[in-house]
Amino acid sequence: MTQEIPNHPRPVVPPLESSALPARRVETLAGGMTVTLVPAGVVPIAAIRVVVRAGSADVPAGRTWLDRLVQDYLGEGTESRDAETFAGALAALGGRLDIEGDEHTTTISTEVPSEHAPAAVTLLAELARAPRFPEGSAKRLLEDLERTLDIAGSQPQWLAHAGFRRAVYGDHPYGRVLPTSEGLATLGFRDARDFWHERAGLASTTLMAAGLFDEDAVLEAARRGFEGWGAGSRSSVAPSEASTTRSIRIVDRPGAEQSTLQVGRPVPAPGHPDYVAFEVLNSLLGGSFYSRITLNIREDKGYTYSPRSSISSRPGDAYWVEAADVTTNVTGASLREILGEVERLRAEPPSEEELAGILNYVAGSFVIRQATPGGILNHLEFLDLHGLDVSYSASYVARVREVTPAEVQRLAQEYLDPAGMPIVIVGDRSQVEEQVAEFGPVEEAAGA
Amino acid sequence: MTSLPAFALDIPVERHRLANGLRVVLSPDRSAPIVCVAVYYHVGMRLEPPGRTGFAHLFEHLMFQGSPHMGKMELVRLVQQNGGTLNGSTRYDFTNYFEVMPANALDLALWMEADRMRGPVITQAELDNQRDVVKNEIRVNVTNRPYGSFPWLDMQARAYENWHNSHNGYGDMADLDAASLEDVRAFFDTYYSPANAALVVAGDIDTEEALRLAQRYFEDIPAAPPPPPPDLSEPRQEEEKRWTRVDPLATRPALAVSYHVPERGTPEFYAMGLLNQALAQGEDSLLHSELVLKRGLTGEVDGGINFLGHMHNAQTPLLWTSTLVHDSDVTVDQLIEAYDAVINPLLERPLGEEVVHRLRAKARSGLLRTIAEGVYPRFGVADLLAVFELLEGDAARVNEIDARFAALTPEVLLRTAQEYLRPTNRNVLALEAGANS
Repeated sequence: MTQEIPNHPRPVVPPLESSALPARRVETLAGGMTVTLVPAGVVPIAAIRVVVRAGSADVPAGRTWLDRLVQDYLGEGTESRDAETFAGALAALGGRLDIEGDEHTTTISTEVPSEHAPAAVTLLAELARAPRFPEGSAKRLLEDLERTLDIAGSQPQWLAHAGFRRAVYGDHPYGRVLPTSEGLATLGFRDARDFWHERAGLASTTLMAAGLFDEDAVLEAARRGFEGWGAGSRSSVAPSEASTTRSIRIVDRPGAEQSTLQVGRPVPAPGHPDYVAFEVLNSLLGGSFYSRITLNIREDKGYTYSPRSSISSRPGDAYWVEAADVTTNVTGASLREILGEVERLRAEPPSEEELAGILNYVAGSFVIRQATPGGILNHLEFLDLHGLDVSYSASYVARVREVTPAEVQRLAQEYLDPAGMPIVIVGDRSQVEEQVAEFGPVEEAAGA
Repeated sequence: MTSLPAFALDIPVERHRLANGLRVVLSPDRSAPIVCVAVYYHVGMRLEPPGRTGFAHLFEHLMFQGSPHMGKMELVRLVQQNGGTLNGSTRYDFTNYFEVMPANALDLALWMEADRMRGPVITQAELDNQRDVVKNEIRVNVTNRPYGSFPWLDMQARAYENWHNSHNGYGDMADLDAASLEDVRAFFDTYYSPANAALVVAGDIDTEEALRLAQRYFEDIPAAPPPPPPDLSEPRQEEEKRWTRVDPLATRPALAVSYHVPERGTPEFYAMGLLNQALAQGEDSLLHSELVLKRGLTGEVDGGINFLGHMHNAQTPLLWTSTLVHDSDVTVDQLIEAYDAVINPLLERPLGEEVVHRLRAKARSGLLRTIAEGVYPRFGVADLLAVFELLEGDAARVNEIDARFAALTPEVLLRTAQEYLRPTNRNVLALEAGANS
């Protein structure tokens, strides 16, 4: 049939213009709380987030998931409205309450039609300032967490994540992903209440909104809503001492059809002069569909469906990790290919052509990711967390364009020595152990 | 701006039809320099033939393996190296392929999708490779994952009578093994014609230029008759059905409760959308209040009208399904009693105006989120436009969604609940935890 096909020449795309990102309006309230407003888009919606600098890393040893109990408690209403009344008030504006957290933040967010943005800010401020923490809810919330823990323990991706964190960070808070059942049972409503009241306040909180909304009215709602709140306290977490030694840990899952792998190691964190170039390296190596590892173990060998590398970061801390669920009988072969691709990048720089394509991808993705209200707020949170300012965003694309093949090779040599990479495998130990013997001694059985 | 009028949904929609039958929908949004190009083919899991379960999805994978002027994965390379991102998915009624790109790559994106519309040019090795990839997709999402087939594959297999609706669209491994290059050719010839597809371009475009480019690349693709529509009809369910299934990987039991929903496009269908808001969307919902806050039977109740999307992006028959995971000391009867306590009042008396007002606000806001947000910017709006064009024949009906919800009275909601939330229309699936230690 080929002869029927007209030969339209393939269009050549003109070079990407550096595009201006949406302008930010930053205001500081009495007490030092920052409000960042970003008018954007054409859809009459406003995305609003209250970001409190308190997260899992602020939880003492033995109290893992206290931060999650706090998050669940934030769904239990405020001092003046119970859970159902508060949720109903937000729903009447079209909003649903979304509460998330990570190592250093707890985020209360919602999205509402534009005209309700100020009223939604008022409600979120009420919740941030005065959550209810009813003692009577503690038993139910802890049972829910116990169930969540039990289910997490049955999911190979959760186990791989927890195992990898433990291998990299040991007993540092970043290494504590899953609690024990016994540890969970010691938590109570007072712990949750005290955690929030000690930390949340004007000095530890920022408000951000993006989309279409009346900026002055949102600002006024924020002023009134947060006026007179206490200062709170910003966390100080001991620096991590991430491991750079090879270890192999197998979490046994008898009969598993696939092995769930994580392999990686610490790398430069956001703000480090090498960070942006490392993002380029990541996209080239495993962080995009047309990356080397994905082309190899998926598109050439068919070992896996969704291999992916990524950079996981916290202030002053980051690691690179490749994660994949591979057919059990090619567990060793998959690791060999993954580490082989790392070695290849260390041995020779990428071609100018390959790198040029990746640079465009990284630059274009940066612009695309900030074309939604939620994407804009994700970027603002990233900047805030890492102490970066608007100049990071403004210079990002130019910095990407400066990356050279030699620089990518240098980064691979400097930061990605496979000999220093912990490996975690969640799979059928009896099938897997022999396959991975070539990568080093396998640790004795380990829990999460 | 200082004040905003109350929200009104007004998405720009420009519709065209090329000589070969391809529908073209253009929707400019010049707020950021990006564009989403999406091609939807009106064939999905429901239409694949018996003996070839999973074929529609396998075929989707093959559409990344080469076309007349692009080699294996070349489309992916071209998208990425020009600053874009892409994906594809197989749903019940359609299969979509889309890329989000810097606006200056519109020309290339249309060229690539037109080349792909001329058909996959692939080898046996590429078919074998993607068969392995798809098997690994099924393992990671279904067979190696606790609750992997719950509720969607488990429930549709039991609640539907019609094979098109009930069979496993991910495919049986034996059927995947049997798929051949001849099947690929035949499936393409039957379902991937221009007249059975819609092209949507949403984002930073000049519509005249976009139309001109669409004509340049797509209009000389040979026309072919569209396939006959399948019979998806289901009989009215007359008695409640209950099942139990053991999930060997699950550590806690779970429950799914499903009801057949009204026909797409009817007032009752939109009413079911609001009943979904009332029952299961958000922490103000009735099921959350009763089962989570009041009775402590679970930590979370989910609900929705389409296992593979939302109420707007599938053809009916569909099931409204609510799911939860619970502890082993909670019985199925206890849970059903709680569902009854929530649902029965909806069949007995109309909801108050204030409640209905809130449901409309939630539905409207959900629609705005679908349009404005997402990992692939502009894809949300492109998806809605494409499905309304393919399933209802007019993309512009997207702008009527809000009015359809607003027109619903408490009486319509009552009538809908009485017919569709009646106990004899219910399907209950209890999942037992086979890995319970």
